[in-house]
Amino acid sequence: MNNIKIKSKNLNVYYGDKQALFDVNLDLNEKEVTALIGPSGCGKSTFIRCINRMNDVIDICKVTGNIEMDGMNINDKDLDVVSLRERVGMVFQKPNPFPKSIYDNISYGPKIHGKGETKSELDQIVENSLKKSALWEEVKDRLDEPGTSLSGGQQQRLCIARAISVNPEVILMDEPCSALDPIATAKIEELIDELKKTYTIVIVTHSMAQAVRVSQKTGFFHLGKLIEVGNTEKIFKNPDNKMTQDYITGRFG
Amino acid sequence: MNFVLLFLITIFSLSLFFYGRSKTKSISIEKNIRLNALPKFYGYYLVLWCSIPALVFLLVWSLFEPVIIKSIIIETAANQGAIFNDKNEANLIYEKIKAIHLGTYFGDIDSILKESALAYAKFINIFTNSKVVLIFGIIIASVIYSLKKIKNNNKARDDVEVILKGLLFVSSLIAILTTLGIIFSLLFESIKFFSVINIFDYLFGTNWSPQRAFVRDASSITVAELEELKDAFGFIPLIAGTSFIAFIAMLVAVPIGLFSGIYMAEYASIKVRRISKPIIEILAGIPTVVYGFFAALTVGPFFRQVGENFGLTVSSESALAAGLIMGIMIIPYVSSLSDDVINSVPQSLRDGSYAVGATKSETIKQVVIPAALPGIIGSVLLAVSRAIGETMIVVMAAGLAANLTINPLESTTTITTQIVMILVGDQEFDSPKTQSAFALGLTLFIATLILNYIAQRAVKKYREKYD
Repeated sequence: MNNIKIKSKNLNVYYGDKQALFDVNLDLNEKEVTALIGPSGCGKSTFIRCINRMNDVIDICKVTGNIEMDGMNINDKDLDVVSLRERVGMVFQKPNPFPKSIYDNISYGPKIHGKGETKSELDQIVENSLKKSALWEEVKDRLDEPGTSLSGGQQQRLCIARAISVNPEVILMDEPCSALDPIATAKIEELIDELKKTYTIVIVTHSMAQAVRVSQKTGFFHLGKLIEVGNTEKIFKNPDNKMTQDYITGRFG
Repeated sequence: MNFVLLFLITIFSLSLFFYGRSKTKSISIEKNIRLNALPKFYGYYLVLWCSIPALVFLLVWSLFEPVIIKSIIIETAANQGAIFNDKNEANLIYEKIKAIHLGTYFGDIDSILKESALAYAKFINIFTNSKVVLIFGIIIASVIYSLKKIKNNNKARDDVEVILKGLLFVSSLIAILTTLGIIFSLLFESIKFFSVINIFDYLFGTNWSPQRAFVRDASSITVAELEELKDAFGFIPLIAGTSFIAFIAMLVAVPIGLFSGIYMAEYASIKVRRISKPIIEILAGIPTVVYGFFAALTVGPFFRQVGENFGLTVSSESALAAGLIMGIMIIPYVSSLSDDVINSVPQSLRDGSYAVGATKSETIKQVVIPAALPGIIGSVLLAVSRAIGETMIVVMAAGLAANLTINPLESTTTITTQIVMILVGDQEFDSPKTQSAFALGLTLFIATLILNYIAQRAVKKYREKYD
């Protein structure tokens, strides 16, 4: 059993008058993949956006309760969001490379955080990130080309490389394969397996099969509540809750 | 007469609409058949058939009637023994005959004129009568035809669609043809101008003083005079003045407009945005003549006063005042367009940037602005083309003398100002001075056309990237 990396206690999220999360208590283990499943609009994405405070971007969003990373209160008003996001990277549903070259897409993050002061250091960061995201072999000869010229799957791996480039501890993935074909999906899943040796990963997914394949722990959300959480094997073979059972067998959702 | 005819056509058409509608309704009930279209379509069908052929005929007739009558009358007058040497004299006689007919001619009337006037009256009469008869003939024929059609339960809906499509097509054709007409008239007048003044003298000359060509018309110009005119139409001071004032305007409009666009798109709350965006756009709705007297009466003298305090000579009509006010006028164009393009940068790009820990201003500077850049460039180019085409402010505030200067405190002039100056007052149409206005217009048109083309290409390219 790995250490607990992130711990949420009685986490509530409101969008204006609407409550999106209700008293979520969820622990995420270090260097493990946690999958979050549940029907659309159930609060999975809202939960992971609490971990890197991306909800700050939305004016009407209010977060109460407690969420900690290594004992540090993420929800603290005085917390430096920039350094939090340096430690917690994120990959989005749709690949969103910047309209810049492949190289600049990766070097963007390190430059912002003042890493890689010399050109060779920066080159090294870019190369390492692309290698870790299994994209290096495909793009090493065309780093000057725009990131948007890559295929969808390559773009998503580029976005993973971008997240890795600032050397985070946690990577949040919000349905990273929903816009990709099965082959590209398989590559990303392979990559996730590899990445969990170094990073703590949280992945939101609509694919039960994907959750089974990549994760060690699974949480099932429904209508803003965490219904059940446990080892992936247990959740999918022998869930405690009837609702979980119904969802994973496709009876609703 | 034409108004009476138009009125009658309208009345007929309207009554046919109601007739057609109720008639087809009763047919369908009587024979217990399903109509091929709603009853109102049969009404429309009759209206269109009753009015369009008659209206087209009336239009064509009205275009050709005067021409035909004129040629007939001039020929009759000639047969009567009237003598005229050229077209102008023939026209004069025709106008006299018309005036006699209308009873507004007070000169001597000889027998030739009298006879011709009688002939004129006769022809007018014949033409009017035949026009009325023909129109009614056409209406009756087309109404009979269309009534027969609707009694056979034709597909009136499809037919109405086809006719309406035709109407819309003709309207757009008119819009395009008039634009082309304007361009060609510019082109032909400019060609006349360039047949007197060498195009290179025009394009590269540094002296603009068209008043020198005022007295002479192009047809009777002598070689010596032509030589003298050679350097009267130098375009360089005008394009220099125009660009200079536009440049000052852009210095004001681009930073302020762009920054306010960024504020509106990225920072302003929905509430602030909803109030302040229309306020900025009001600036674009102020008539330019208001900006003009503001520039001429307030800002110009103010700069002069300030300049005097510093011991500078400032012309009260300065490029600076005109450019500054023009810049203020253009701010809303830049801000509103760049606001739109910044807004259409997908939120996912901003999220991606925030997620690696970038702050808001870093995100705007390094991700949003580069992504929106083609669109922003497009909006700036549109603003430039607005600036060089702007007339009223510069006429009122920039001055008239074609100074080749880069001192913003001196007065300078623009292409548009010169066109206004040339065409204000009495003009001889074939003087090179008047024709030079067309050449200036053409040059201005080409310049703004190129700018607009590039701007639209830039904006389009930008859209394709994110759609």
